Amino acid sequence: MGPRAAGESGHELALVDNAIDLELDLRCYRLSAIKKAAYRFADRFTAVLGSPAQDRIAISLRFKSTVTEVAAREATRMFFQELLDQELREQIAAETDPIRTLILAHAFSNLDLIKREP
Amino acid sequence: MTGLHARFRDRTAFAPRADYRLLPFRFIRLDDQRYVVTSDVGEHVVVSRDQLIAFARHELPVTGALYRELKAKHLVFDDDSRAALDLLAVKYRTRVAPVANLTGLHIFVVTLRCDHSCHYCQVSRQTEDKTRFDMARDHADKALALVFESPNPAIKIEFQGGEPLLNFGLVKHVVQEAERRNAVQRRDLQFVIASNLTHLDDEILNFAREHDIYFSTSLDGPEDLHNANRPLRGGNSYRAAVDGIARARAALGHEFVSALMTTTPASLPRVEDIIDEYVRLGFTSIFLRSLSPYGFAIRTRLIRGYDIADWLGFYQRGLAHILAVNRRGVQLREELTAIALQKMFAPLGSSYVDLQSPAGIAIGALVYNYNGKIYGSDEGRMLAEMGDDSFCLGSLDDRTFASVMTDDALQQILEDSLPESAPMCADCGFLPWCGADPTFHRATQNDIVGHKAFSAFCAKQMAVLRHLVTLLEDDPDARRVLMSWV
Repeated sequence: MGPRAAGESGHELALVDNAIDLELDLRCYRLSAIKKAAYRFADRFTAVLGSPAQDRIAISLRFKSTVTEVAAREATRMFFQELLDQELREQIAAETDPIRTLILAHAFSNLDLIKREP
Repeated sequence: MTGLHARFRDRTAFAPRADYRLLPFRFIRLDDQRYVVTSDVGEHVVVSRDQLIAFARHELPVTGALYRELKAKHLVFDDDSRAALDLLAVKYRTRVAPVANLTGLHIFVVTLRCDHSCHYCQVSRQTEDKTRFDMARDHADKALALVFESPNPAIKIEFQGGEPLLNFGLVKHVVQEAERRNAVQRRDLQFVIASNLTHLDDEILNFAREHDIYFSTSLDGPEDLHNANRPLRGGNSYRAAVDGIARARAALGHEFVSALMTTTPASLPRVEDIIDEYVRLGFTSIFLRSLSPYGFAIRTRLIRGYDIADWLGFYQRGLAHILAVNRRGVQLREELTAIALQKMFAPLGSSYVDLQSPAGIAIGALVYNYNGKIYGSDEGRMLAEMGDDSFCLGSLDDRTFASVMTDDALQQILEDSLPESAPMCADCGFLPWCGADPTFHRATQNDIVGHKAFSAFCAKQMAVLRHLVTLLEDDPDARRVLMSWV
């Protein structure tokens, strides 16, 4: 099951007390991707993460008191797009990080960083 | 199969393999439809989301044009292109090799005195008669010792102020002494004086001609705008600048004079006028610079006069006008754009010290302040004038080049602010074209890394790069002009 708003029927996102509450499936989005997406959206809301339990995590998006419902929903929509991007980045990193390490090691393998006396 | 045919493998043996491996890459959203994918050495491809997903899932047809482009730009490799790893390593080493040269730019603040009272002055100038804000000759000599301890084969000495021509005696001394030392050292040595040109006279011009000294001046646009931004007590700053530009060009040559502008709130509606003024005066380059959060720009609250969105509108209109000027056959390039394009397309990237990874602090530029203190950047000394000495690297009285470069505080700043390990930057598709600006983030967020979601630096970089990639992708006329700036 994908994202849904807690306490709401269907997948409607409701702004209650300047917050939108979500529950995310950790089989769809790993925790590191959720944290990175939340960090990136820190100028729009503060994401309060609950404890992961049974492949799910509760997350409350806390907005400033001046936010409108339309703006909050739009920020939440963009947050889900960012979640997808971050999850893809995590997958790519898992596959390519060892190669990146290899390339960097190879790039500097002949570099003598210590100036030796002749 | 017999005879000649037996010497050849069947053509199916040469068909592209269906499987491939990913090389390290980052990506970022360009707009609602497209993504920018970049390699670690700054090569890029623009793709749709479906293409990005197919690429990452190894589902891309290996016979297609996109696969060939990804392979050519070292974003994938297969059995036919195992050399990609070697090539990528060589490209990476080439791109970062200049860091090992260490400091090439050395800024001498020979005085803080100035006759102007610019509202945006970043260095907190002092009035003309306060000679206690002049650099002592002893400090200048100690600074020169540091300059030539740097291993960089190309050394640029830049004189700044205040107004450096108010302490021209020391400028002469530094030039002559640097040339004397360089007779043995044989570096590629260059001098630049950053001046408002008000005090330019024949003696200065003769000396500049004898020693191949360049001038960098300030020109904020047409006369009324320039004079409003740069008040000169009892004088006309614009006339002094324009007359000085003409005299310096006549004495030294056209290419020995360049100009910089600063965007104030009054500049915002007039970008076309500013650009036309540069064209009228025969400049081939203009730098559409936003205000920096230092000095009088903060004290006078001028910096609150516009936000980054306002400046971006100014920049985009300006770039459109510059491209139109070029299409008329007049050569004019915008410097911020050129720096970004060099990072996108040139093997060595750009040497612009304010946009490097690791940050250009100290390893790109050193500043020797009038009072003998050493800073890792011009902005670092500007911050110091506001009471924050966190970028001070000690005093000329007790420092060697080696002790500055190995300073624990400097190493910590460079390590902590490295974009490759900074939150948000580490996985940003624009990382190979960006850099660290620890001084800006210290000034605005009291933290050298800064939270990029709140960073005007990040917002500006993102918007400029998105705009440029969009122009390169969607506007063939613009692309032709922009590529001529690389």
